[in-house]
Amino acid sequence: MTRLFASWKMGYLFALILLIFFLIYPFLVNAETSYMVYFFYTTFIYVALAQGWNLVAGYAGQVSLGQHAFFGIGCYVTAITWRAGWTGYFDPLAMLMSGMGAALVAIVIGLPLLAKLRGDYFALGTLGLGEILRVIALRGGRFTGGASGIGLPSSAYQSMSHYYFIALLITIITLASLWLMTRSNIGLALVAIREDETAAAANGINTLKYKILAFAIGAFFTGLCGSLNAYYLFYVQTGGAFNLNWVIIPILMAILGGAGTFWGPILGAFILAAVFELANIWMPELHPIFSAAFIVLVTLFLPDGLMSYITGYRHRILRKLSPFKWMLQKT
Amino acid sequence: MAGFSSFSIFFQVFINGIFLGCMYGVAAIGLSLIFGSMQIIFIAQGAVMILAAYCIYWMVTLTSIDPFFGFFVILPIFLVFGWAIYKGLFQRVAKAGKNPSLLLAFGLMVLFEHLMSLIWTPNTRSVTTSYSTSAFGLWNINISITRLIVSIVALIATGFVFLFLKKTMLGKAVRGVSEDMRTAALLGISPSWISSVTFAIGIALAGVAGVATCITYAFDPYFGFLFSLKALIAVAFGGLGSVAGALLGGITLGVLESLSSYIISAGWADAVAYAAFLLILVLRPEGLLGRRSAERT
Repeated sequence: MTRLFASWKMGYLFALILLIFFLIYPFLVNAETSYMVYFFYTTFIYVALAQGWNLVAGYAGQVSLGQHAFFGIGCYVTAITWRAGWTGYFDPLAMLMSGMGAALVAIVIGLPLLAKLRGDYFALGTLGLGEILRVIALRGGRFTGGASGIGLPSSAYQSMSHYYFIALLITIITLASLWLMTRSNIGLALVAIREDETAAAANGINTLKYKILAFAIGAFFTGLCGSLNAYYLFYVQTGGAFNLNWVIIPILMAILGGAGTFWGPILGAFILAAVFELANIWMPELHPIFSAAFIVLVTLFLPDGLMSYITGYRHRILRKLSPFKWMLQKT
Repeated sequence: MAGFSSFSIFFQVFINGIFLGCMYGVAAIGLSLIFGSMQIIFIAQGAVMILAAYCIYWMVTLTSIDPFFGFFVILPIFLVFGWAIYKGLFQRVAKAGKNPSLLLAFGLMVLFEHLMSLIWTPNTRSVTTSYSTSAFGLWNINISITRLIVSIVALIATGFVFLFLKKTMLGKAVRGVSEDMRTAALLGISPSWISSVTFAIGIALAGVAGVATCITYAFDPYFGFLFSLKALIAVAFGGLGSVAGALLGGITLGVLESLSSYIISAGWADAVAYAAFLLILVLRPEGLLGRRSAERT
């Protein structure tokens, strides 16, 4: 929406208003029972997940289908370190370790995959990674708790608003790093790789380095979300931690809003999360059918994502309002 | 033969793997064809299979027609069905690029899964016949008759697709489009017409694989995704876009799973399959049979 308002200042103002709203919202309602607080909490996580994918796929053009692997690593690192007594409830160290663990796996697996595979092959490879980790966690015996998973001391639970603010913090960190990265040399390099990898390499860009950087940073934030999810559920199990929904839903959100844009995945996350929740409330039995039909309809009528539509619409409107022509200027 | 008490057990496991692999193979050919012409992974392939399986389930329980007759029922219906999906949905979306098509395929998969679970309940179903359990022995190996027939049907279907691609003009056009869409269009081949043909064939093959599945295995509405993944692995084994490779990839995968679940344990079979998949992707991305192409994007 920076493009919507076409000026940096308007974009900042818009972000600031949103931020203030989200910061004071839990104090306006009863955070423990408010459905909206829960809704925003899940949506924040989805925003961070969608942006984690957006960095790798939307900007760098490397479509990863293995984000659930990093989410699961985040869950398990948090659960295992807490069970071992090294970390505690809402321990920044555990969350950092979860993120770093995910990033480390991303680097180790990314070195061979990103160096050798392009396009669909990379997507398939990352999908395989997620499934391998799921089976390893399932067969991990006492270390990962096997099929029954790891239960955490749920008596530590204090308040829903803690989750809300930590999710908000993770989202803000994700968005801020994405914003800074995409507006620096790194972002330019990533987009150059997306547009034409051979040409990017010919122009002196170390493509592997940048691809791995994007993959690892995306994995880091996905791992953070996984860690928070472990704290929220107090229970980590392969079916939940390595669920393909953790990769598929964020991808849907990013594409719905517009992959490769800053505001697109945020918009997509809020819209899709709202559609899913409303469908769940109004027609619980038909919810998945309705949501799936929604996805099909969106791809039919808005295949380029909402952001491209909004941008195009803005141009059409602003062209008619000549006093506002300055808004069309590139920033 | 480490881990096997006798050679005949090894052979038994091997044969079972081949039977399983034939089904992966047929689904994989459909996936590979669609990938060839549209450059997308049609992730709903497994859901379409299960849809066919439920159709046969209905046919058998309501009319008590022999399930093998289902091959002849499903084939034309799913040809038209696939053509309609392409014309109604994918033709429009394909213009916008690959990501929306992938998203659409995913949306279709979820839609099919939940429609099926609404219509047929999420309970596990299976189609049983009077001869479901019959088998014959061959050098101490039990060969299930249904699985054998199903595998033969799968091989015949593959053979027809192979002949279609090699011997007919339309098949040549399909191969041309999958090799280089722009040049094919310059030579007067309409890519969207070819895509609709391949999509119809791909969906029909998913239907055949679905009939085969329902005769030999129990299934539920969500079983399809796993099958999509397996078909995907089979395609990667054989190399994207190759028909014979997809079938061989499927059989390799079936044997690999069957052997590893016997030697290690059933739970690790999936991990072995995925690990082999990753290894092949990294070491030989063009597949076991594929030719190395200049550009793989």
